[in-house]
Amino acid sequence: MTKTLDVRGEICPYPMMRTVSALKKLSAGERTLEVVTDHAPALDTIPTQASRLGFETAVEEVGGSEWRLVLTRKREAS
Amino acid sequence: MTTRAARVHADALGAGAPSRDVLRALAAWTVAALVLLMAYRVDTQFARFWAFGLAFGFVLQRGRFCFASAFRDLFLLGHGRNMKGVLLGLVIASIGFAIVMARQVPIADLGFLPPTANVLPAGVHTALGGVLFGVGMVLAGGCVSGSLYRMGEGYVASWVAFAGLMGGLLVSSYTWNWWWEASMSTAPQVWLPRSLGHSGALIVTLLALGAVFIGVLWIEHRAGGVVPAPRTADEVSDSVAADLRALGRRVFVRGWPILIAGAVLGGLNVLLFTAQEPWGFTGEVARWSAELAGLVGAAPPPLLGASDLPGCVIVVSDGIVNHMTFLVVGMWVGSFAGALGAGEFKVRVPAQPVRYAQSLSGGVLMGYGAGIAMGCTIGAFFSSVPSLAINGWVFAVFLAVGAWIGTLIIRRIA
Repeated sequence: MTKTLDVRGEICPYPMMRTVSALKKLSAGERTLEVVTDHAPALDTIPTQASRLGFETAVEEVGGSEWRLVLTRKREAS
Repeated sequence: MTTRAARVHADALGAGAPSRDVLRALAAWTVAALVLLMAYRVDTQFARFWAFGLAFGFVLQRGRFCFASAFRDLFLLGHGRNMKGVLLGLVIASIGFAIVMARQVPIADLGFLPPTANVLPAGVHTALGGVLFGVGMVLAGGCVSGSLYRMGEGYVASWVAFAGLMGGLLVSSYTWNWWWEASMSTAPQVWLPRSLGHSGALIVTLLALGAVFIGVLWIEHRAGGVVPAPRTADEVSDSVAADLRALGRRVFVRGWPILIAGAVLGGLNVLLFTAQEPWGFTGEVARWSAELAGLVGAAPPPLLGASDLPGCVIVVSDGIVNHMTFLVVGMWVGSFAGALGAGEFKVRVPAQPVRYAQSLSGGVLMGYGAGIAMGCTIGAFFSSVPSLAINGWVFAVFLAVGAWIGTLIIRRIA
């Protein structure tokens, strides 16, 4: 059910920009978005962008220079 | 996927044999050390610049330190992470440079300039170069130093940007003499200590950096504040060995906090200035493109005035290899070794063909901008502001304008 956004291979700053626009397009019923990235700087910028839109970020290290970010809608913000 | 995640987790606990990442990184560092030894036997200066190159590349990679995002993210994301690192680096370098320059030129108002500091003519060429460079670095997704370290991490688009950069620098060297007559030769080289004294110039520079810092905080709060990046939890340490393993992971595997990276880069710049000259390398890259053009009989003409200027001014010829070659190649190798050790090396191929066009044209704009501004975000900014010279600030203001224009463009290229 969870939508996955694959931004592997993208150059800076598209991983962040495409995550933000995907979060904005989620319907109110969709609570999580999964982002797969190989762009390390996104680990520092996406949590802040997600938080401003009402999402919390959990980072999972997949290995091989890839990370899965699970962005979950905050309870109080929905 | 699960096995890979499990392997990473095992590394975190320091269990078992050294991972493939550690072995690869050790191999890369061994090669780098052998080059250092060979360079030392030829010329100690080669070895020194090789070591500095390795250090700069490693720190840029570990800190994910990016001048392009420092400027761009203020407009694009309302986020000042990289700019805060840049500002701390500038504070440290300004203090260090001021001490070195006060020894080089004890009486500041006699009219002599510190011989190797990046006090450059500030004029229309600096401003236009800043705007072009700012647009270019945002289009290409990284400035010159950013592209260099991302080349070492395996970003294919950064190699394309570097090719564009060489092209842009070559074009700028064909037009250099026009710019020399029109603007550079009459533009003033303003060194703040001449009118404010050494301490006064340093205080004014630090206050200005502090004002920029407050502006960055204001931008972040207006955009909704920032949250720290989630960190993986530290395992409980029960021995010296576990402490050392945790420290090793913090240095070689996890990304560094931006303030540490900025402070180390500022400190390295002071050391390099003390040893010889401030950090900078676009002059060397321009030399490569001029040499290549010379092979097909299209070498640029002799550049008026360039030999009398410090910093990253385009160099026409200096043999096939010189100390700066070691600095630039060292940055690639340092970043490559850093990425290997962290498990962050990967050949990254953009899915959309438009990214290649974007990186190439961004590189060309950066190259032309760096050519006429006499340096990139390093030479004309990160080494010029600490030289207590006005050209660093002029370049920075127009770099910000260019970065803002760049964000308008990339928003349209989805």
